[in-house]
Amino acid sequence: MPTHKNILEVKNLSISYGSNIAVDDITFSIKHGEIFGLLGPNGAGKTSALSVIEGLIKPKSGTLLLEGVDLQTHPMQAKAIMGVQLQTTSFQPELSIKQIIKLFAGLYNVKLLDRDISESLQTIGLEKEKSKRYKQLSGGQQQRLSLYIATIHSPLILLLDEPTAGLDPQSRRQLWDRIEHIRKDGGSILLTTHSMEEAQAVCDRLAIIDHGKILTIETPSGLIKKHKNDPAVRKVAHGKVTLEDVFIGLTGSEIRE
Amino acid sequence: MNKTNPIKSLRYLFQADLNVLIRNVRALFLSVLIPVILLFAYSSNKAQARLGGPSYIFAISITIGIISSSLQGYTLTLARDRDGGVFQRLRVTPAPGWAIMVSRLLVQVIANLVIAVAVLVVGGIIYHVNLTVLDYILVLFIATIGGAVFLSIGQAIVGLLKSAETVNAVVRIVFIALFLLGFLGISGVFGDVLQQVAKWTPLGTVMTLFQGALSATSWNQDTTYALLANLGYIIAFSFIGIRWFKWDSQ
Repeated sequence: MPTHKNILEVKNLSISYGSNIAVDDITFSIKHGEIFGLLGPNGAGKTSALSVIEGLIKPKSGTLLLEGVDLQTHPMQAKAIMGVQLQTTSFQPELSIKQIIKLFAGLYNVKLLDRDISESLQTIGLEKEKSKRYKQLSGGQQQRLSLYIATIHSPLILLLDEPTAGLDPQSRRQLWDRIEHIRKDGGSILLTTHSMEEAQAVCDRLAIIDHGKILTIETPSGLIKKHKNDPAVRKVAHGKVTLEDVFIGLTGSEIRE
Repeated sequence: MNKTNPIKSLRYLFQADLNVLIRNVRALFLSVLIPVILLFAYSSNKAQARLGGPSYIFAISITIGIISSSLQGYTLTLARDRDGGVFQRLRVTPAPGWAIMVSRLLVQVIANLVIAVAVLVVGGIIYHVNLTVLDYILVLFIATIGGAVFLSIGQAIVGLLKSAETVNAVVRIVFIALFLLGFLGISGVFGDVLQQVAKWTPLGTVMTLFQGALSATSWNQDTTYALLANLGYIIAFSFIGIRWFKWDSQ
């Protein structure tokens, strides 16, 4: 269960690309052992916010603390304690699965013997594929490997950018089980998603983000309770109000590119 | 939490990039094959007399091999991996950005040295030339500098262009342009003015250096100027390639 101490604190974060403001003064925090979801339509600013935390882009303004470490002044120290699964992960196509694992274990200074690698691959059902190349794996297998590599150094927090996009229901369920497992081991997770089902199934708290601003932060059930009587939500609801109704009610019905 | 170390990161990245080179042995083989074909093609007495002897033929062969490996191999792989998100995946680890690049460059330097040694060994046999250890050392030194010229040109192309497809197309055009202007231009086919211009192109200056290295007596003022020109090319193209390089093609 989440503790009260925050692992990640994001304060007044703003991100812009030229004159386009992608993230506009957002503030949120994640507790130890908590699974926190950023839910928003396309172009809402989810991936931009995550990219700043991952150290891939620089913010316009704001403070980011990961376990007390300033992400902007000590990015390497912060990266050593976070695990990341990007939306489109790719590894050098010439490398075998085993070579990829050795590379990333080395980068995180994790000592892995061949036996350890075999055991880990067995756990994620990829033992027979260890000599294969990444591109030879199926989508579900790639995703499992990618998540394994993201957690190879037992990070304090795991950042997942739309982790179940493009996965079949079996692979999706398997991923949720893995997320639950990480939570049980005391890890925190920040994930972005489009999927209401996913948000409801795995997240302790959700932030709905749109046009770069956080509209609300609550537990999934709390969100429904808080917004079920909003006129915009009532207008889109068919019968009992769902999380999707709240989401559509708050972010609007128009299609985003 | 395990402490990470940039030098250790470089070691692991280098190991992985070396594995990529080994897996791509066919590409390396082709980079060696083209110069070896040139060595055979110009081995007749007539061709040797026309081109100015083995040192010129060795120089053009190594230069073409290095261009093929550095400009095409390095640049295209860089563009492909950037497009595929490979760099972004590495950048979210504690490995510093410089280590990601340096590791790739080191592997490419090794590939260039392999090409240079292959040309010297095969060329030595075909042309019955006995090369001293000093010759080898000098040629490997020049291969490193010459390789750096073409790697920096490749870096500049990847720095200025984002799309892997565009990089692919431009690299091929630059390769052909360098080849035509440098190789044919130096031979005087396009006239005296272009011959002088070609002498100072990246290909021309690298060839001058190789000729100087292969024959101590032919190291003259032009060779020294060629060395300076190469250093200038490296600095200028590296500046462009680093200043405008983006890790992400989006």
